[in-house]
Amino acid sequence: MVHAVKTDKNISKRFRWIDPFQEGWSIFKESILGKIGLTLLIIFALMALFSFIPPQIDPMYHPMTGVDPEISHSTGPSARHWLGTDFMGRDLFSQLLAGARVAFMVGVSAAFMSIFLGTAIGMIAGYSGKGIDTLLMRLADMIMVMPTLLVILILSSLFGQLNIWTIVLIIALFRWPGVSRVIRAQTLSLKQRPFIEAARVAGASHLRIIFRHIMPNVLPLSFLYMTFRVTSAIIIEAALAFLGFGDPGTVSWGMMLQWVWKTGHMFNAPYWLLPPGICISLITLSFYMLGRAMDEVLDPRLRKEEGAG
Amino acid sequence: MELRRYIFRRIIQIIIIFFVILTVLFLLFRLAPGDPVSRMIDPDMTPEDAELLISQLGLDQPLWTQYVYYVKNFFTGNFGNSFHYGQPVVRIIGDRLPNTILLFTSSIILSALVGIFLGKIASWHKGKKTDTWMTIGALVTHTVFLPWLALIMIWVFAYKLDWFPITGMISEEVWLDPDVGLLAKFLDVLHHMVLPLGTLFLIHFGSYLLIMRSSMLETLKEDYIITARAKGLEEKVIRDHHAAPNAALPVVTSVGLSLAFSINGGALTETVFTWPGIGRELVFSVSHNDYPLAQASFLLIAFVVLVSNLVVDVLYAYLDPRIRY
Repeated sequence: MVHAVKTDKNISKRFRWIDPFQEGWSIFKESILGKIGLTLLIIFALMALFSFIPPQIDPMYHPMTGVDPEISHSTGPSARHWLGTDFMGRDLFSQLLAGARVAFMVGVSAAFMSIFLGTAIGMIAGYSGKGIDTLLMRLADMIMVMPTLLVILILSSLFGQLNIWTIVLIIALFRWPGVSRVIRAQTLSLKQRPFIEAARVAGASHLRIIFRHIMPNVLPLSFLYMTFRVTSAIIIEAALAFLGFGDPGTVSWGMMLQWVWKTGHMFNAPYWLLPPGICISLITLSFYMLGRAMDEVLDPRLRKEEGAG
Repeated sequence: MELRRYIFRRIIQIIIIFFVILTVLFLLFRLAPGDPVSRMIDPDMTPEDAELLISQLGLDQPLWTQYVYYVKNFFTGNFGNSFHYGQPVVRIIGDRLPNTILLFTSSIILSALVGIFLGKIASWHKGKKTDTWMTIGALVTHTVFLPWLALIMIWVFAYKLDWFPITGMISEEVWLDPDVGLLAKFLDVLHHMVLPLGTLFLIHFGSYLLIMRSSMLETLKEDYIITARAKGLEEKVIRDHHAAPNAALPVVTSVGLSLAFSINGGALTETVFTWPGIGRELVFSVSHNDYPLAQASFLLIAFVVLVSNLVVDVLYAYLDPRIRY
């Protein structure tokens, strides 16, 4: 999006769902937090992209299984291995790049699913009211107090090693209530507006009112929450991998930290301990900053999202 | 009177929620792939002992009867024996609970107080350097990956500088020595607690600072602040006595909302620092397939979260006279 289109408030103009986003962009551009966040994010996106390029060591190199035959212990940075190698002689730089890809994959897909669920449930609860509303919101209350990380731990003790997509799915299933509460509140206030009344009088069905008239108005808010959900999904996956319950077939940053911790290299291999931790922290920071910048766009007084896990 | 009714209603809600969690956990443990009996019976047990425990837990009965047994056992504190420790689970978690509560409550209170204090200062210097650096500092510490921060703390303060012990909660030699007084024991625990407490504090105070800051800025626009100014009160009095107490209320709310987050963080901190608490026990039992211990630790943690939520809600209702439910 290069040009920020200033939408006019002309009523005859058809409302498009993209409009609020374009309007917001012009405010967003002014925010320092937004700029820092976006820059960091672009760097991480490039890292994720570079992970697809075959490394110079060996075009068939895989960060999980590829070992340097000449190295049998952890070594420091060198011309061949830019960040050094781990205890089996695997290249840390390739692992770090692969970790960026996993972080985006986990963060964005879990966030997208939880936002989808949260928005749908919030709109349904707010629009239908009464029994359905109470039921859904009590369910939300209940899930909200559950510590997601520990829930996934219990599940993995029962079902064995979880693969990465199962982890993503569980994170999504446990992280929708915050969004749904906000969307519900927004829906409740929208429901009172004349244009909804008008649509109803004109004979629009409930589904049409929800998707055609309410959804475009709550989407920017969902989008805001998506950035916070990306953060929490990345943190949960990283923490899970750190504790040794990650997908054993995936090289994530949390996994790298687990290896450095479990193999007892944390005191003598700073080149191994520092990069993954810095990456997890910075990618979290960048999404968090983006969220706060968007927050300013949407409503400066909006209550900030506290928890990230 | 209103407050009492509100508390009563919340307690009822919590009991219902807890029962749902209890039931879901029961179903998960019975319906997950694998043999539910082997999950509750220690593989090293003699057949006679195993038989006895099976009938105690009602594992030979139909699902519905099992559930009745399960609930009864829960309320009588009979969670079976831990596979790993070979002791009743209830004794193990009873041992660990005070340690967790000590670390958890002290970290939350400390970070909330410091967060409120610093947030107040940041809002007072809005737009100036102090404010900018505080906001950035809060954002950065709040988003640092907790286990990694814990490792860095150990590396720097325990390994390089050797100021604090690397892991654990007590030093054996201090506690086994009969000549050592209570004060020395207390100081020993404190000495071990600095790093885990410091880690949790660093992670948490940032969000409280940010909330306090924005809440302060909102409060300063209120009419009663203008009135206080018009009365000619000192700026410091207005800030500390008129604005801050009201502005701190959202921080209390956010303590409640972020409890689940804090519990996750607590478990990670306990694990890295090998602090003998419930969270570490849960992580440990899950990785060692110690199902009775895992189940009981999880239930206890859920219980702690629910009760702390209640405490926060009641505290809020008590602190804010404008809100009476």
